[in-house]
Amino acid sequence: MDEILTCSVKDLRTKICAGEVKSVDAVKACYKRIKEVEPKVKAFLKLNEEQALKHAAASDEKIRSGQKCGVLEGVPIAIKDNIMIKGESMTSASKYLENYVSPYDATVIERLKSAGAVFIGRTNMDEFAMGGSTETSAYQQTANPWDITKIPGGSSGGSAAAVSSAMAPFALGSDTGGSIRQPAGFTGIVGYKPSYGLISRYGVCALASSFDQIGSFSKNVYDTALLVSVIAGKDYRDPVCEPTEQTDYTEGFDNSGVFKKLKIGIPKELSNYSSDGEILKSFDNAVRNLQLEGAEIVEVSAPSYKYVPALYKVIMCAEVSANIATFDGIRYGYRSPNGISLNDEYAKSRGESLGYEVKKRILFGTYVLGAKNYHRCYHQAQRVRTLLINDLNKAFSECDFIFSPSTLQMPVKFGEELPEECDIFLIAANLGGFPGITVPCGFTKNRMPMGVHFMGKRFSDAKLFQAAHAFEKISGFDMSQYPKI
Amino acid sequence: MLKEELEITAFLARLEVKEEEKERYLKDLNKMFEFIEVLQEPDISQLKPTTHVTSLRNVWRDDIVKPCPKETIEQMLNAAPQKEETFYKVKKVIEAQ
Repeated sequence: MDEILTCSVKDLRTKICAGEVKSVDAVKACYKRIKEVEPKVKAFLKLNEEQALKHAAASDEKIRSGQKCGVLEGVPIAIKDNIMIKGESMTSASKYLENYVSPYDATVIERLKSAGAVFIGRTNMDEFAMGGSTETSAYQQTANPWDITKIPGGSSGGSAAAVSSAMAPFALGSDTGGSIRQPAGFTGIVGYKPSYGLISRYGVCALASSFDQIGSFSKNVYDTALLVSVIAGKDYRDPVCEPTEQTDYTEGFDNSGVFKKLKIGIPKELSNYSSDGEILKSFDNAVRNLQLEGAEIVEVSAPSYKYVPALYKVIMCAEVSANIATFDGIRYGYRSPNGISLNDEYAKSRGESLGYEVKKRILFGTYVLGAKNYHRCYHQAQRVRTLLINDLNKAFSECDFIFSPSTLQMPVKFGEELPEECDIFLIAANLGGFPGITVPCGFTKNRMPMGVHFMGKRFSDAKLFQAAHAFEKISGFDMSQYPKI
Repeated sequence: MLKEELEITAFLARLEVKEEEKERYLKDLNKMFEFIEVLQEPDISQLKPTTHVTSLRNVWRDDIVKPCPKETIEQMLNAAPQKEETFYKVKKVIEAQ
């Protein structure tokens, strides 16, 4: 494989900036790889080689003429199709937004543009990010590059597949209930969801607003930290974005002995769920490696983990029903030609353009928010959410990170369903607003990658990167391996 | 959930549910209702609801009008399925009962 494709973002940006590698060649290498593997993987909804090459050439010219390089000058990146880039289409993998053109840039895109990054394409996802397999996309099915008969996970399955098969060095995704970390775990790469409020969601298609966060996919922890240094920080246009200053998250990575100062909590509840035997074995091995590095391993308990699937479904669907109400077929998007009155037109515009999963969630959400049911359903769930957060904060008083397998099961074949509790340790991070990162830790006998998940206290993101980076060095996972497609 | 309740919910959501799909929705939604039951179990009488995990309150910015570029306004209007001059065009809002 082309050396450019196996290069980390860290090295690639240095080489581009030094003029050793041309951004145009980096973009060309990505597109060459895309032409080879994309027919089987189908990670992208839209590619625009011409425009990407134009931007790359502009970066090269900037460097040639001695102008100051952006942090990600000339580096190619893939963007999930629910993040707005001015003048480009954004479908959120829904028929409703089939012809939508973004009138402005999302904050994260604005920042990536000023850092000099080059957008190479829009990645597939579950429709409006509702799903965990990328199968609810209205356009195409994305395959897991390690076994193309299996799902890549979701909802950001396209971004995960693109990075793991070396079609893009890194990518943006969004994570509402594990939508970055689960597919990253399924495809053997690093997936990160920030603390709630660290990265602005302005210009991102909303799913469940009290959980949604933008995050990243990369081949290593450093590249994620580098990307986050560019996109994180205060933005008045997202009212829940915390007033944090721009931070260099790659600082403090070279310290050895990181784990000697850390207490790693293993949730007692892990044993309550049926898990894949190989995953448990590799997780135990990871715990042993941490111990050998000097980490103190403690057992922590959060009994309300058992409410996670129910909590997530009730609150998420309620927020979905409120957010999707914005799609009225009046200001943009699909309008049914069959409506006979205003109400009928709303109903038909949504009914004809949205997929089953989205509609099911709208209905469930509308029900739990209904005047008759609100107290018993939605309000009750919000109080149980407090219980879970209290449990997790108590666990965090005894450890620095909660450590678990990234998923409890391996990816399934298309059309098959994953059990509800597969991602509960990931979803807990969304419910509590905690940061989480999945890092690959090994392969199964069938050459499928597995991962582990670190969840930290709120706004411990910098420390989380340091721990994940240190783990990466001892995980034994060979990052230079690529799927044979 | 009964069929009638599904129809009311679909009307509240302004969402068309086709007759032939109703059974599938009912089956799936009734399964999802188990989640609501699960959440009745813990004692949460002393707990306040969490709507957001953020502790931010009233995020202020300077009260300065930033003009929207004319081209953005045009682009927004052009995205509408139907418009007239600078207005979105919709079906009659007040209907005869």
